Amino acid sequence: MATTTATITLSSSDLLSDELSLATTCTLTEAGNSTGLISTSGLGRKTTASASQYTLFAAADYTDDKAHKVYLKNTETAAGLYFLISIHDVEVGRIYAGDWVFLPWSADTTSDNADFKITPSSSASHTLEYMLFAE
Amino acid sequence: MATTTAAVTLTSDLLSDNISVTTDTTCMKGGTTADGLDQMDMGYIEIATGDQYDLFDADNALNKNKANKVYISNDSTDETYYVTITIDATVVGRLYAGDWMFIPWGAEDATADIEIEAINGTNKVSYAYFHEGRTLIAS
Repeated sequence: MATTTATITLSSSDLLSDELSLATTCTLTEAGNSTGLISTSGLGRKTTASASQYTLFAAADYTDDKAHKVYLKNTETAAGLYFLISIHDVEVGRIYAGDWVFLPWSADTTSDNADFKITPSSSASHTLEYMLFAE
Repeated sequence: MATTTAAVTLTSDLLSDNISVTTDTTCMKGGTTADGLDQMDMGYIEIATGDQYDLFDADNALNKNKANKVYISNDSTDETYYVTITIDATVVGRLYAGDWMFIPWGAEDATADIEIEAINGTNKVSYAYFHEGRTLIAS
């Protein structure tokens, strides 16, 4: 069985009067059991050249309502360049230059067509790294 | 300026070449490298089944379309337990026992709350919200 782990560390020495140090590791497993996820897109990279919305992952290509996970990183360095993340027609948030994201994804096609979409902040070149772990 | 760092490491033996991705970011206010997010809320709750609850309320102009970050961890241990994460009536995904997520949250309008519902049993959830400000409700 494949083993995929994701570890996050949140730290700050000056946000609070007590040091913030939070670390969590999870093993990516299938929905409702302990079998490791067996599919991945691998690490990909996309550079956009327009401010149009792009579908990064189409919900119809994956099974609904499983334990899929998506990783994204905005590799830009200019602070104002961001990608707006949307699922279905709902805006989740902006990942600015240097930011990364890790989140579950429903890939739901029953109630909403929950395509995973990105919209660059402008037509300037924006580069994104991405990886999907799926059932 | 407060400096808060979020780091992630992804490792896997799924492919013939091992996956090993490591990166980090400093949590900054939207569109700047000069000013870090300097306010936060952090907590732990146990959520019973049967209803969907607002974990974070979007009805706050200070949140709107910023670079605010949300961390949620499902600390439950029963592998069949999960919470659904919903924004503006669209299910983003399921966070199973042991899983965590870290996302930006745009709180684009008053209905874009982050909502959570426990499935299959009472789920234990930790959360942290790094932001540019939150409007306190007058007493």
